[in-house]
Amino acid sequence: MYGGDEVSAIVIDLGSHTCKAGYAGEDAPKAVFPSVVGSIEQQEVVNGTKFEKESESMSDLKGGLKGLDSEKAKTKRKLYVGSQALGFRRDHMEVISPFQDGVVADWDIVDNIWAHAFKDRLLIDPMEHPMLLAEPTSNAPQQRERMAEILFENYKVPALFVAKNAVLTSFASGRATSLVVDSGGGSTTVAPVQDGYVLQKGVATSPIGGEFLTECMMKSLESKGIIFKPRYSFKRKEARPGDFQTIDLDFPNTTERYKLYSQRLIASDIKECVCRAPDTPYDESAYANIPMTPYELPDGQIIEIGADRFKIPDILFNPSLVQTIPGMENFIDSSPVRGLPQMVIESINKCDVDIRRELFSSILLSGGTASMQQLKERLEKDLMEESPQAARVKVLASGNATERRFSVWIGGSILASLGSFQQMWFSKGEYEEHGASYIQRKCP
Amino acid sequence: MANAASGMAVHDECKLKFLELKAKRTHRFIIYMIEEKLKQVIVEKVGEPSLTYEDFMASLPADECRYAIYDFDFVTEENCQKSKIFFIAWSPDTSRVRSKMIYASSKDRFKRELDGIQVELQATDPTEMGLDVIKGRAN
Repeated sequence: MYGGDEVSAIVIDLGSHTCKAGYAGEDAPKAVFPSVVGSIEQQEVVNGTKFEKESESMSDLKGGLKGLDSEKAKTKRKLYVGSQALGFRRDHMEVISPFQDGVVADWDIVDNIWAHAFKDRLLIDPMEHPMLLAEPTSNAPQQRERMAEILFENYKVPALFVAKNAVLTSFASGRATSLVVDSGGGSTTVAPVQDGYVLQKGVATSPIGGEFLTECMMKSLESKGIIFKPRYSFKRKEARPGDFQTIDLDFPNTTERYKLYSQRLIASDIKECVCRAPDTPYDESAYANIPMTPYELPDGQIIEIGADRFKIPDILFNPSLVQTIPGMENFIDSSPVRGLPQMVIESINKCDVDIRRELFSSILLSGGTASMQQLKERLEKDLMEESPQAARVKVLASGNATERRFSVWIGGSILASLGSFQQMWFSKGEYEEHGASYIQRKCP
Repeated sequence: MANAASGMAVHDECKLKFLELKAKRTHRFIIYMIEEKLKQVIVEKVGEPSLTYEDFMASLPADECRYAIYDFDFVTEENCQKSKIFFIAWSPDTSRVRSKMIYASSKDRFKRELDGIQVELQATDPTEMGLDVIKGRAN
């Protein structure tokens, strides 16, 4: 529906795991694709000599990626963005992420992700559409200025707005004051929001997100002797109806990271299919005899998953469980991590006494990992036990799975489509007059 | 200005009715709604001083968001007649996401226009704004 003076804005929520992009006013993002990209270092050699140089290029690649500066990167590597481009295995293709510790470290990759979203997925000309971007709750001022610069200079967007994840989630649930628990791919963030402002002093983050749980799931199953065969490493043929043959293929030039990425895709699907937060803290002996749940791997192996179904999600509540998973023992030592209920309580206790009650009664769940079955019930139960007597604990999550997963994007989509919002944009004219730092005034 | 505010304007009558309630006490409650096409908050309903809290609750739609002002009379433990002006952001869980988003992102600006609010509540179901809650917050 096109509504008079409303311009069709584009809304982008670039998360650490998935990028969500679409048209403002719609119910769900049109394009949802991984935030990691494939990268192949380009060799400036002619075809004939390329082959001999291959072993050399591998070592180049490992050294090059660490101390990479974006200028050099632009000329020397080719990036593959989107689930399709990434799903196709290529020789020497690494998998890299623009994020480091939850903030953007490599703007060249972000630039490529945006370009993919605009040109390949949404099929729009960025010069014609205002852009609303969701940003991590604790984004630094320099980050947003850099973002504004790239969008105004490289893409020539007519107008821009940057809204905080937690605020959008809070508004989309009808609350101006709430405690937003955003458990996404790369991390979990707990942020108190009061009257549409994030109370920065109360923000708590932990590195335990969906990807971490996936890693634990994979390590735990591998320790039980299960081998994850990446989808590219075999062919399946139906020899006779109902009888499949698996033929292993060998690609010696596949990078270790790409192999890991493909294996994680499988582990992540297992996690999403079978995992469920346990009703009470996980206890090894109590779960020893629970019935096994079957899962069919892409290569036809059927594996059985028992206690891990409950143990893996419980890591969110009790991170020290990680020590019992082979290969993950060292995680806790490096940084002390708290469980979800402790994070919530600490965050609330850092806020003003007057609003604590209100925060306890409006705890909002958002993000992919928060969609885990029974997670809401478990968090509510744990908090009831640990919260002060007078507080009324209420954990809320949208019943609709799409709304829960995309709450940030949906909030942005509605906001950007409001007629009254059109006066709020940070316009290109204002950018040219006042510079990128003006964004701090326009989008506080 | 809050981050991600909607930019919704406030109709003059909203302030006028509020001043009447505050100074002349000619209304028990005022219910405001957002008219998206006008990009404005407008007065939807006003209630006579003789009306009760139940009447007020009944005036709020069950599955649409609203803002409301209620003038609450009560007697303190020292037997002292008092009144407090409540601001309630009514945003039922069953309302549409769009409506929740619009009301939540316009609230900060709107509330600033009404000078003299003493207690603020956000309610997502009737129990969160029951008479017991109001009484509890009044003291």
